[in-house]
Amino acid sequence: MPLQPAQQNAIEPMQVDVQPEDNENNEEEYISVEDPTLDLESYANSYTGLAKLYRLIFIADHCPTLRLEAIKMAINYVMATTYNVNMYQMLHKKLADLNSSAQQSATAALPDIASQSGNSLDIPPYDSVWVEQKTKKAALKLEKLDNDLKNSKSNSIKESIRRGHDDLGDHYLSCGELSNALKCYSRARDYCTSGRHVVNMCLNVIKVSIYLQNWTHVLSYVSKAECTPEFSETQNRDQNQATLTRLKCAAGLAELATKKYKLAAKHFLQANFDHCDFPDMISCNNIAIYGGLCALATFDRQELQKNVISSASFKLFLELEPQVRDIVFKFYESKYAQCLKLLDEMRDNLLLDIYLAPHVNKLYTKIRNRALIQYFSPYLSADMRKMSEAFNCSVAALENEIMQLILDGQIQARIDSHNKILYAKNADQRSSTFEKAINVGKEFQRRTRMLVLRTAMLKKQIHVRAQTRERQEEVLMPSGSRSDARN
Amino acid sequence: MASALEHYVNNVRTMTSAGNFRELVDYLNDSMELLQRNLNLLDNVMETLDLQHHSLGVMYIVAAKISEIQNEDPEPVLSLVKRFVTICNGEQVRNAPQTYFDLFHAYTNLLVKRKLNTTQGIPVLTVAIEKIQLMESQLTPIHADLCQLCLSSKVFKPALYFLDVDVTTIAAAEDHQDSTTKYFLLYYYYGGMVYAAVKNYDRALYFFEVAISTPATAMSHIMLESYKKYILISLILRGKQITIPKYSPQVIGRFIKPLSQHYHELSNVYINSGSPEAVRAVITKYQETFVRDNNLGLVKQVLSTLYKKKIQRLTKTFLTLSLSDVASRASLSSPAEAEKYILNMIKSGEIFAAINQKDGMVVFHDDPEKYNTPHMYLNIQEDMNKIIELNKKITQMEEEIMLTPMFVKKSTIPESVVDDKGYPSEACE
Repeated sequence: MPLQPAQQNAIEPMQVDVQPEDNENNEEEYISVEDPTLDLESYANSYTGLAKLYRLIFIADHCPTLRLEAIKMAINYVMATTYNVNMYQMLHKKLADLNSSAQQSATAALPDIASQSGNSLDIPPYDSVWVEQKTKKAALKLEKLDNDLKNSKSNSIKESIRRGHDDLGDHYLSCGELSNALKCYSRARDYCTSGRHVVNMCLNVIKVSIYLQNWTHVLSYVSKAECTPEFSETQNRDQNQATLTRLKCAAGLAELATKKYKLAAKHFLQANFDHCDFPDMISCNNIAIYGGLCALATFDRQELQKNVISSASFKLFLELEPQVRDIVFKFYESKYAQCLKLLDEMRDNLLLDIYLAPHVNKLYTKIRNRALIQYFSPYLSADMRKMSEAFNCSVAALENEIMQLILDGQIQARIDSHNKILYAKNADQRSSTFEKAINVGKEFQRRTRMLVLRTAMLKKQIHVRAQTRERQEEVLMPSGSRSDARN
Repeated sequence: MASALEHYVNNVRTMTSAGNFRELVDYLNDSMELLQRNLNLLDNVMETLDLQHHSLGVMYIVAAKISEIQNEDPEPVLSLVKRFVTICNGEQVRNAPQTYFDLFHAYTNLLVKRKLNTTQGIPVLTVAIEKIQLMESQLTPIHADLCQLCLSSKVFKPALYFLDVDVTTIAAAEDHQDSTTKYFLLYYYYGGMVYAAVKNYDRALYFFEVAISTPATAMSHIMLESYKKYILISLILRGKQITIPKYSPQVIGRFIKPLSQHYHELSNVYINSGSPEAVRAVITKYQETFVRDNNLGLVKQVLSTLYKKKIQRLTKTFLTLSLSDVASRASLSSPAEAEKYILNMIKSGEIFAAINQKDGMVVFHDDPEKYNTPHMYLNIQEDMNKIIELNKKITQMEEEIMLTPMFVKKSTIPESVVDDKGYPSEACE
C-alpha cells in the first residue's frame, strides 16, 4: 500500500497535463490574454474543489499577468483542503518555472529537481513535511476505507457497500486520482437500492466525468438520472429541483463542449436559480454567461424573447452578469454596435474560462451573423455604408461577410456592388416550387429507369466474373442487389 | 470435300423447308469448322442458297468467311455482310443469336482494326440491330458495336437514336453470359462517351453509373475506365463527387478505387480548395496518367467548370459587379478573360446577365423563366406522361413477379420468409 502513492506520482502529473488535450479543441491555437479585467479573488471564491483548481490552472496557463497570483491561490487551496499531493507538486513546478524564467537566477534550476525528487529542503515555499504527511495520511485513510469496504462486503450489507464505494470515491477525488474515483463511483451502481441512490451515483459519475472532460459519459449519465423512475415522478419537489438544475447544467456543459450550442442554451435556461448551488461544478455567473451567449448565437428573435428575456428564472441569473444582460437586451433592441462593443469588452475574460474559451470565437461569429441577418431583415434595400458603420467594419469586409451569408442561404438578398446597396431578393415561391418539382420528377425518372434496367440486367444474369469456368456455378445473383432493385 | 459441302447445302435446304430450325442450328454449329476449312468454295455454296429463304445457312457461311479473313482485300466480305443484313430473315436468324452477334462483332473489329472507313458500317449495324430486336427498348450486344463505330467515326447521331431509348429488356444468347456482360458494359461505356462527346453530361453520368453498378465479382477494365470517367463527369456536372449507388459491387471499393487514386486526388482538390491554381497543379502533376487514359479533354473541362461555378455563385450574391471584381473573385487572370467567360455563359444560358462595357460593370439578372408559358406547360405535361408510363411499367413488372409460380409458392406457405430478400429469384436456386 505505501508503494501506491509513489507509483501514482509517476502517472498523476501526466494525467493532469494531458487533460486539456482531451478536449476536442486542442488544435486551436494557444490563447494568450494580456489584459483581463478579472477579479481573481472573487472569481476563485465562487468555486470549490477541483473545479476551482482547474480554472485557476487554466488562467495561469493563458494569462501571464495573473499567472503568479493564480498559482499561489491554487497552491494554498490544495494545501488547505485536499490530499492532492501530485497537484501540489505540479503547481509548485509551475511556480518554480515561473520564477526561473522571471529571475533568470542561478538557483532556478534547483526547484525543478527538488520538487521532482520530492525532497525540497532548499526551497522555502515547498512544504515537504506537508507532502509527506499528506501522502501518509492519504495512504492510511485509503487503507481504512478499503478495510471498511471489505468488511461490509463480507457482511454483504448492500447499503454499507454502496456507501463504502462512495467514500472511497470521495477520497480518490480528494487525492486527484480521477480515474480511480470514477471506478469507485460507478461500482456503487450495483448496490443501489432506491432511485435516490441511483441519482446520487449518477451525480457523482457526472462530476468526475466533467473533470475528466469526458462529455459523452456526462450526457449518458444525465439521461440515466433523468430516467430514474422515482426522480421523474417527484420532479416538482424541492430537493429534486436542485438535482435537476445540476443535471441540466452538466448537460449544458457537455453540449457546449461538443459545439451543440442550441441544446446547450436550452439546458442552461432550464436551470433554477434558487437551487443553483454547486460550486464544485459551475457557478451561477457561468450559467448566465454560457446560457446567454449560446442563446444569442442560436435563438431567433421570438425564442430569445420567450425563453431568455421574459424568463423569470433566467432573469435572476442575468442580474449576476449585468454585462451579459446588457448584451442580450441591446441585441434584442437592435443596437448592434453597442452590443458588439460590449461583447468585445468581455472577450478577454471569456477567453480565460476553461470551458468557454475554445468556443468564444465561434459563438461571436454566430452572434455577429445573426445580428447582420436581423439588421437587414426589415429592409427591402440597405445602404452598406451605413450598415458598415453600425457594425464597425469596412464596407469591403462587410461585403465579403454578407456574401458568405447569402451563399449559405441565411440572407435572401443580392449585393449591388456598384452602388454599395444590399437589395432583398423577393424569393419567387412559385418559380422555385416549379423548379423543385421538375427536378424531383427528373430524379424519379432517372431512378426508375435505372431500376427497370437493373431488373432486366439481373434477369439475364449480367455479371462480371473471373474467367475461370468452374467458378460459374458459385457465382450467383446477389440477393441483396435483388432487393435493391425492388425498392 | 466438295461432297461434304453439297451435303451441307442439302441439309440446310431440307431442314429450312421443314421448319426444323433448332436442329438446323445444332447442325450448323457443328459444321462451322467444315466451312472454315473450305473458304475458297464458299462463294459457290452461297450461289446455291437463297439469302431470304436460307438465312441461317448463309449466315454461317458469312460468319465463317469473316472469322477467317486475313490480309486480303476486305471489300467483298464487307459488301457481303451489307447484302446479308438487308435481305436476311430476322425471324430465322433469331434462332442462332450468338452467331449473329459474333458476325457483327467480327465485322466491327474488321472495320476498326483495319482503320477502314467506319462510317460505312453504321447503317449496316443499324439495320442489324433492328432486324434482331424484338422491341425498340431491347438491348442487343450489337448496340455496343454501333456506339464504337460512331465514336471512331465521330458521327453520333445514329448512336443517339438508340441511346435515347431506355433499355427495358436485354437480348442475350443463353450460355454466353460472359460475352453478353462484356457487350453490356461496353455499350454503357461507349454510350457514356458518346453522350460526353455531345456534352449531354446528365445522360453520360447515368450511363457510367450503370456501368459501375453492374453486379461483379471480378474486376473489369471497362468498369475501371467507366469509374474514372464517372468521377470526372460528376465534377463537371454537379461540382462534387457523387457517391456511387449502394448496390454497386464491392469490387469498386476494393480494386477500382485504389486504381484511380489520381482521379480521387483531383476531385478532392477540386472540392476542397476550389482554387483553379491547385487544380491545375494536380492536372500537371498527373498529366501522364490522364493522357494515357485518354481523359485529358474531360480533365480540362473539369478545370473550366470551376471558373464557371465561381461565376455562377457570384450571380447569386450580386446584382452588379465590375468586371475586374469578377476576375478577382473567380480567380481569373484579367477582366478581359472574365468578360469572355461571362459572354460564353450568357450565350449558353448558364447565367442571365448583361455586360455594360461603358463602365465595365456586369449586371446579373434573375432567371427569366416564370413557368407560365404554354411551352413550359407542355414540358411539364410531357414529363408527367413519362412518369405515368414508367409507373405503368413498374406495375406491370410487379404483376409479372406476382404471377411467378415460385413467388406464389413462397408467399403462400406460412412462416416462409417473404421479405424482400426471400424474393423468388429463379437464378438463385
